[in-house]
Amino acid sequence: MSNSTAIFQADAVSKMFGDLWAVDRVTLGIPRGEIYGLVGPSGSGKTTLIRMLCGLALPTGGTAKLLGSSMPSERRAVEHRFGYMPQERAVYRDLSIAENLLFFGQIYGMSRARIAERTRELLDLMKLSDRGKQRADRLSGGEKQRLSLACSLLHEPEALLLDEPTIGLDPSLRREFWDHFHQLNAAGRTILLTTHYLNEAEWCDRVGLMQQGRMIAEGTPDDLKAEATTRSGQARPDMEEVFLILTQESVAGGVS
Amino acid sequence: MKLYRMGAVTERVLRQLWHDRRVLVFMLMLPAIAMLLFGYSFSGDITDVRVAFIDEDGTDLTESILESLQEDEAFNVTVLESVDDPERLLLEEGYQAVIRIPDKFTSLYYAHFAMGVATSAQGTIDLTIDESDPQVAATIRMGLADAMMDLGEGGPVEVETRELYGVEVRFIDSFAPAIMGFVVSLISIVLTLLSIVREKVDGTFSRIWVSPVRRAEFILGYVIAFGLIALVQSLVVLTIGKTVFDIVINGSIFWAFGCTILFAVGSVGLGTLLSALAQTESQAIIFFPLVILPSVLLSGMMWPIQAIPRLLRPLTYVVPLTYSNRLMRAVMVKGLAPWQEPVGFIGVLVFVILTIALASVVLRQSAGERE
Repeated sequence: MSNSTAIFQADAVSKMFGDLWAVDRVTLGIPRGEIYGLVGPSGSGKTTLIRMLCGLALPTGGTAKLLGSSMPSERRAVEHRFGYMPQERAVYRDLSIAENLLFFGQIYGMSRARIAERTRELLDLMKLSDRGKQRADRLSGGEKQRLSLACSLLHEPEALLLDEPTIGLDPSLRREFWDHFHQLNAAGRTILLTTHYLNEAEWCDRVGLMQQGRMIAEGTPDDLKAEATTRSGQARPDMEEVFLILTQESVAGGVS
Repeated sequence: MKLYRMGAVTERVLRQLWHDRRVLVFMLMLPAIAMLLFGYSFSGDITDVRVAFIDEDGTDLTESILESLQEDEAFNVTVLESVDDPERLLLEEGYQAVIRIPDKFTSLYYAHFAMGVATSAQGTIDLTIDESDPQVAATIRMGLADAMMDLGEGGPVEVETRELYGVEVRFIDSFAPAIMGFVVSLISIVLTLLSIVREKVDGTFSRIWVSPVRRAEFILGYVIAFGLIALVQSLVVLTIGKTVFDIVINGSIFWAFGCTILFAVGSVGLGTLLSALAQTESQAIIFFPLVILPSVLLSGMMWPIQAIPRLLRPLTYVVPLTYSNRLMRAVMVKGLAPWQEPVGFIGVLVFVILTIALASVVLRQSAGERE
């Protein structure tokens, strides 16, 4: 899977916490223009994998590359070109919406005029127009999440790493988020995201299924369904069934 | 390093403080309250100690002793005709001391003075004193001794005093510099600690470390924000000190502000350092007494280091406020330049360099083991 044009690339990357392999020799290549979804139970290593790819965690073994740069050693070369949305809401509670965007724009070297322009655009997009002066801790969960996404998009990154961007959102809001993702994707952005919602996996170009730090299956949603049918004989499984079949297979496969 | 990124951090910290009105009020009120509270309760000037004065001799000399005592604001002197039982006055009348000058005091006093050490006969003043409060008792002894010294040429011993540094320095004058360092460092440590722990909890830290912001820019952004706050707080302390307590500032205000800001920088470093040991805000709060208690008890702020038991005295040298107090008092009370108080100056400099360097290391770890 070593693809020289890959936006996100992992080669047998591993991360050990204490005596636990949080990520165990994962290899991954995501070409430009793809929406790639990492799914798997909590604690399966999705967040750690994303953190290694954006340079927040040092791999114990293997290499993680973002836009062709080794992370974290060469992160300076690409730090302006990617956006990261952490699992926590990651906005300043005691700042207003506009002030949050101002700060995250300033640290990327954007001019105040440009930040104001982008703020208008993004607040329109996120249906937060005229709310700029509202403090983040007065926002609902969904609004806070929209602000968090806006903060990650502000500096117009070409690569996006979104950790559980839709967690805790109601179904209609999740739909809206996915509309944003598809719009961003259509505008040329490459997106790597994690999700708990298996129906969302259907909306990705490709899906990686993780369990206990390992990548146990990977492919388009249709590939995974076919794989599940082969293994279990069940015709036309939905994503939830695919997940159950493939993860059980892996546990039953007995590699502890 | 880019100034605009550092400035962005400073602006953000100041905006956050500005929005949190409680914190803002706390920041400005604390120096004011501390100065007023400590200033009034520790002003050190004991007044209105009730003293009974019985003059059985009745000469010009004893008259001038009485005048001296009456001029002393510490005493509320009542002149009595005679006394049988001084103890009863203490017990039942509420006097804290009874001073009785016996008959022939004056003649014995001059006789002793004239014949030098050759005679054992000397004037004796009979002092009955309530020792239950040692500070009051000490004030009485001192007041009486002062009154005797006021007799001037009559006294057997002449003490020639040269008052160095602060002339007429009262407790409050040397307390203001200490309270400035204390309040400024307390606020800087506590708010830096809470702010950084909050960044960790909320995940904004992750956003910062994937962005172009460098560790030095982050720390300096905080340092500048709290340096500005330290300046405002120093102004509050000095304004109240000047207007309410009329404190004497012998030194340069410029050095006073400079040294306060320097100490605030170290405090931001210490707050950053402590943030590494706390994962949540409630864990961070555990550190508050750890910061406050040694500063209050062991820094020489409330009482001199010499009043601290020898066993504990080495500890005073690891309390940063000890050095700040020395430095601030040298600069404000003695009117020296910082380098003329090398122990305090170097102590504060070492504190700054050490905490900022360690804070930088600690941030690297928080930033996710990069590099």
